[in-house]
Amino acid sequence: MTILVLQIVILCLVAAAIVLWALYFPYPSPLIRRWLPPRKRWPETQIRAWLKRGEFQRAFLRHFYSDPERIAPPGNSMLAPADGLVTSAQVQGGVRYLVIALSFWDMHVQRSPVSGRVLAVESHGDGFMDGEGREFAFLREKSCPVQKRLVIGTDAGHVAVRLITSLAARRIETWVREGEEIKRGQRIGRILLGSTVVLELPAAVNLLVHTGDRVWAGETAVAEGATCP
Amino acid sequence: MNDFLWSSGHLGWGVFALAVFTGLWWLLGDLYWRLQNIRISRLLVTLAIGWAIGVGLILLGFRIE
Repeated sequence: MTILVLQIVILCLVAAAIVLWALYFPYPSPLIRRWLPPRKRWPETQIRAWLKRGEFQRAFLRHFYSDPERIAPPGNSMLAPADGLVTSAQVQGGVRYLVIALSFWDMHVQRSPVSGRVLAVESHGDGFMDGEGREFAFLREKSCPVQKRLVIGTDAGHVAVRLITSLAARRIETWVREGEEIKRGQRIGRILLGSTVVLELPAAVNLLVHTGDRVWAGETAVAEGATCP
Repeated sequence: MNDFLWSSGHLGWGVFALAVFTGLWWLLGDLYWRLQNIRISRLLVTLAIGWAIGVGLILLGFRIE
């Protein structure tokens, strides 16, 4: 009798696992999520469905809002301000615009590429789109971006970090103020949904990354050549 | 064959092993499909071959006993 009960219990557990699988299909069952990398754990179609409903899985939100420690590499190189994929590195008007696209699965806290003093924290609505910025491919796809631009002054000149999100998301936090001294790799803000981070560098710097490279905020050296204290 | 289906007041170990193996094999196949970028046709063939081998081994083991 004991063996029969044990067999039934085991069969019920297997059956429950299959029912869970069927309920969640095509998305992964909660039983196997922990073994999947983030991109497979929460497929894009599932996240887009959550965006429409305005409801998210708690585990996904925990991952989305995660803020792991980062160790800046030694030296004076400029660091990536965000996790993501380098999608463009165009030069225009003496400024190199290094565009980093963040995905849903990337960490969304931004870090300072250099040490220096925060000279300005500017907010932009869709104004940038109406001006010369319209020429840039990285902005062309975004109908109405909302932006914060942090200008950091160093001995070698100015560097700016532009945090961009969509009008729908419209949520950017900046954690530094004008006049504040910040360190290389220090947290400077967070985009709460989306999107894109653009690092504005002097055109003369030697770029260490290329389009298609993956970078990590505060850890990947993206440029060198200017003296960053 | 009776022992395969029912044995001394409980499910036969043969049919029990078949049911558990089939369920776990299905779930394992799903996990493998999500971790590897594999075509669904190739996955199904691999799963079917693996399942047939597993079932064969269970039947063989039960027969040897």
